[in-house]
This record gives sequence, C-alpha cells and structure tokens, in this order.
Amino acid sequence: MLDRWPDYVSLFVAALALGHPIYEIDRRWWEVFDVLDADDACITAGLENVVASGELQPYSGGGRFEVLEYR
Amino acid sequence: MRHEGVATTPRFRIFIMDSGWNSVAHKVLQENFTLIRDLQKEDPIYVLSREQSIEFLRQHPERIGKEPTIGVHDLAALGESGTSEFHGFRLHLGLMRTPQQALVALQSFVRFLSTHRQSTDLEAEIRADLRREGLAGAIDIIMHHEAREIGE
Repeated sequence: MLDRWPDYVSLFVAALALGHPIYEIDRRWWEVFDVLDADDACITAGLENVVASGELQPYSGGGRFEVLEYR
Repeated sequence: MRHEGVATTPRFRIFIMDSGWNSVAHKVLQENFTLIRDLQKEDPIYVLSREQSIEFLRQHPERIGKEPTIGVHDLAALGESGTSEFHGFRLHLGLMRTPQQALVALQSFVRFLSTHRQSTDLEAEIRADLRREGLAGAIDIIMHHEAREIGE
C-alpha cells in the first residue's frame, strides 16, 4: 500500500501541471470577457440615458473607424 | 440565409469605447470595424467619441488600458429585469497583446453575437459557449506560437 503513494503524488502533481495552465487561460479569458450585472448598473444606465437623449446616435458611417477601408 | 429587407428587432445595443491608445487592439478594431458593422446590421452600434471615451475613463479610471472596450446591452434582459441582474457583457479588447489574440477575441465575440440573438438564457450560453471558444482559441494561439518557435 505504501509504495503506491509516490504514484498518487505523481498523479496529483501531473494533474496540477495540466490543470494550472487551463485554469490560468480560463481566468485570463474572463478578464477579457465579463458579464454586466448589478455592479455595472450605473454605467449601463448612463449609456442608455445618453442614447435616449439622442446625444449618442447609432453609427451610420463616416467619422471614427472609417480611416481604413476593409480589404 | 440572411433575409435582406426583413425588419429584425434589435436584440443588442453595442457600445464601442476607445480613447485611442496606439495599441495593437486599437489597430485591429479599426481595421475590422467595417466588417463588424456589416455582420451586425440588426443591432445598432454606438461609437463613443474620443472625448466621450476619455470622460468615461476619467469617471472609471480602473478601466484605463483595457480599452478598446465593446459593451453589449441585452435588450431582452434589460426589459425583463433591468440592470439589477445580468443584462449584457463586454469585451476588453485592450487586454489583448498581439494582433492575433485581438483578432481571435474579436471574431469570437462577433460570432457569439450573431449566433445567440435568439437565446433565452444568454448568461448561461456566455459562460458555456464563450468559455469554450476562449479556451480553444487560446490553445490554438499557443500551439501556433510553439510551432513557430520550433520552426525558427
């Protein structure tokens, strides 16, 4: 029984070695993408208000991002 | 098949905030914006001006350096429960360090928007589908990076 412990330890270390990169990739991905929830209520409301007031209009061409033609 | 001329109710309101850092992400967004706009014709895209973006960042300095940021408001969720619960998602494109990473993130984002417009549980699908695409994309980038290094 005792001589199987090194096997278990090796298995555990291998799982950590494999799992950690996946965990890191997943964690960083969710820094890049995140969901809007109650914490973002103020920002969301602000943007919706700017749209409702007419200060911000849907993009219809020209101005920002029209510098380069799509190719 | 897309049916041109058929009115489609918008599902999302898309906001782009970019203060203008001379970054990889800024360039990738700029170069691909026209395509993004053409692929997202059903949903209005609002592009904050440089001044509006800067003002936003002055109010939320923790976001500095994460932009360009593309925020998506889920109109279905907003109508149902307002802003007290899940009501959208966003992409901090500025956190991408290479053009390839930025492009993969942008493509995943746009693909997700296009394929989930009828979703009844967008939050669950974000956590499932977008996560799966993220892992696949990241692994793909790593594998190509390793192959390039080996080949050099």
